[in-house]
Amino acid sequence: MKTKIRELRREQKLSQEELAMAVGTTRQTITSIETGKYIASLPLAYKIARYFGLKIEEVFGLADYVQGEDKK
Amino acid sequence: MKAYRKTIQNRINLFSLLILIAAALGVYDTFFASEQIKASPMFNFQLGLTAALALMSLVGIFYNKLVLDDEQKLKKQYYKENDERMKAVKAKAGLPAVWVYSALMIVAGMIVGYFNELIFITLIAAAVVQLLLASVIQLIYQKIL
Repeated sequence: MKTKIRELRREQKLSQEELAMAVGTTRQTITSIETGKYIASLPLAYKIARYFGLKIEEVFGLADYVQGEDKK
Repeated sequence: MKAYRKTIQNRINLFSLLILIAAALGVYDTFFASEQIKASPMFNFQLGLTAALALMSLVGIFYNKLVLDDEQKLKKQYYKENDERMKAVKAKAGLPAVWVYSALMIVAGMIVGYFNELIFITLIAAAVVQLLLASVIQLIYQKIL
């Protein structure tokens, strides 16, 4: 799943470690979410979106992901 | 974080208890065990395992004390232990059930070992292979997820 986390982090000059500590997870998990290897749970996605002051769908590419899944 | 602090304190208490048990076993093995038991290959295995458990418990006490004294480290460890991705990885590798099965197999092997050496070796080998496989699967899933 594509996310805007990396861009948002860069805009705010935030490290993965800092974001991880702010949302209560580990740096490795943030890396996996950014690279699309791991899909965050709803509570974690909500925490990340809330941290950046955005809605979940504004941070995570949910529409593209669901369309891709439907095609399978 | 208060509840987690209590969990860490409980872990320290558990490690202390393990060290006491290991020390008691060590005293019994050295001074009170019969020559027949001492001659068994199981005796040395049990002695080694007890010493290793005591050493690991000691390291665990020091590590957890350090974590307790530092709020930042405590928070980091809490997030690490409750990380949803690692929980998913561990679930795929069959953990922590494999740890429990393996520990039970080792204990069973140690008891049976006094009667049949072949069963002891089989059980210990199976437990070790099981643990190794779970670790390898965990590493693979850590790369995938």
